[in-house]
Amino acid sequence: MTHQDYESIAALDAVGAASVEEERMLRDHLATCAACRTARDEFGEAAAMLAREAEPVAPPPDVRDRILAAVEADDAGDDAEVVDIESRRKMPWWLATAAMLFLALWGWREVGIRVSREKLRSQRAEIERLQAEVDALNLQKEKISGAMSAIASSGTRTIQLTGAQAAPTASARVFLDEKKQRAFVFFYDLPANANDKSYQLWILRADQSKPQSAGVFDATKDGTASVTVENLPLATEIKGLAVTLEPKGGGEQPSNADFYVMGNT
Amino acid sequence: MPMTDTVPPPALLPAVARGDIASFEALFDRYSGTLYALLLRILGNPEDAQEVLQETFVKVWTNAKMFDAVRGSEVAWLISIARSRGIDKLRSRRIRVDRENDAGREISIHSSFVEKTTGADEAIRSEERIAVRGALAELPEAQRVALELAYFEGLSQSEIAERLGEPLGTVKTRMQLGMKKLRDRLRAFQP
Repeated sequence: MTHQDYESIAALDAVGAASVEEERMLRDHLATCAACRTARDEFGEAAAMLAREAEPVAPPPDVRDRILAAVEADDAGDDAEVVDIESRRKMPWWLATAAMLFLALWGWREVGIRVSREKLRSQRAEIERLQAEVDALNLQKEKISGAMSAIASSGTRTIQLTGAQAAPTASARVFLDEKKQRAFVFFYDLPANANDKSYQLWILRADQSKPQSAGVFDATKDGTASVTVENLPLATEIKGLAVTLEPKGGGEQPSNADFYVMGNT
Repeated sequence: MPMTDTVPPPALLPAVARGDIASFEALFDRYSGTLYALLLRILGNPEDAQEVLQETFVKVWTNAKMFDAVRGSEVAWLISIARSRGIDKLRSRRIRVDRENDAGREISIHSSFVEKTTGADEAIRSEERIAVRGALAELPEAQRVALELAYFEGLSQSEIAERLGEPLGTVKTRMQLGMKKLRDRLRAFQP
């Protein structure tokens, strides 16, 4: 399209006769064409001539008063306030009341929904927490049931460990299920370990010179503790068991020879 | 040849944009008659015209800062707002004023409210009106009718073509030619 084409559209647009598509094309073109913007402004001025032909007619005085009252209420020139005044003026009182009531009810409903949602979210979190607790208890129950059945099994051998030089009064009882290569060890009268220390159970093997870690544990305040050892070596390969106090988390080999509990299998 | 040598009055909108109530009152006094006459012609009854006039001036008060003197005159800006609101009102109420039937009422409205103000402003506006009428009088009747149907009744191109029983292309050409003539005449007496 040429500038003349756009100018022709601008002529129609000035009297509101351009089509929607023509208006769009013109708007896009005017964004980049100063000459056609000038033409658009000139046509706007020319269109106003149609309105200026008529003899002016003074509006009734109360129209002036109403308009001045509306704009004077807007001291700060706040557009929103003026719009508000305008809309309030135009809105019947019953409609304004109904609108306010509707908004209040709507707001109350929204608050209610939010509270319900929050309550539901909180209840779901509590359910999840309780479910996790139930799962942990079930796991513990399974372990205890397994330990009980292992202990009660006729094939389980019981071994007594005695206190060593570091804790002479301590003791431990080992339930060794050779068939399943599993052991349950219960300790008594162990001194409470410091927070930065852990007890570590070692398997003294007949076929190896170095002890093998069988697990890390903490003693309770009353000196008790329990450890379940899975995947034990064959019974013939186990010479004895011993416990040392190690840095928190234990190590690959004992860091000292101060045994708390020990005994041969 | 210039249509008038009269110097236009100073623009009031810049002061209105700064929140000057006195300037706003002066603006109302200067242009409300022109705008009210326009709205009476568009809407056909005083009640609607007064309501839209009020909306127009409230909008002018809030949007005065958007007036750009480079783009056009103060009166043209005010007229564009009033006309736009008037056409919106007309369309919303689906009023299509029959010009022939309403002509008598329109005249009676004019005669009952004709502005009696005097002074420099009125003298200037009278001269402008004479010039405008002269320019419009030079338009061929067909062009003028097509433009008035668009401007005062808010009809689309196709609605005007249907109303006049003319091809759409013919109607568009008439309106374009008419607007270009008006613009050329306007250029002759613009400051």
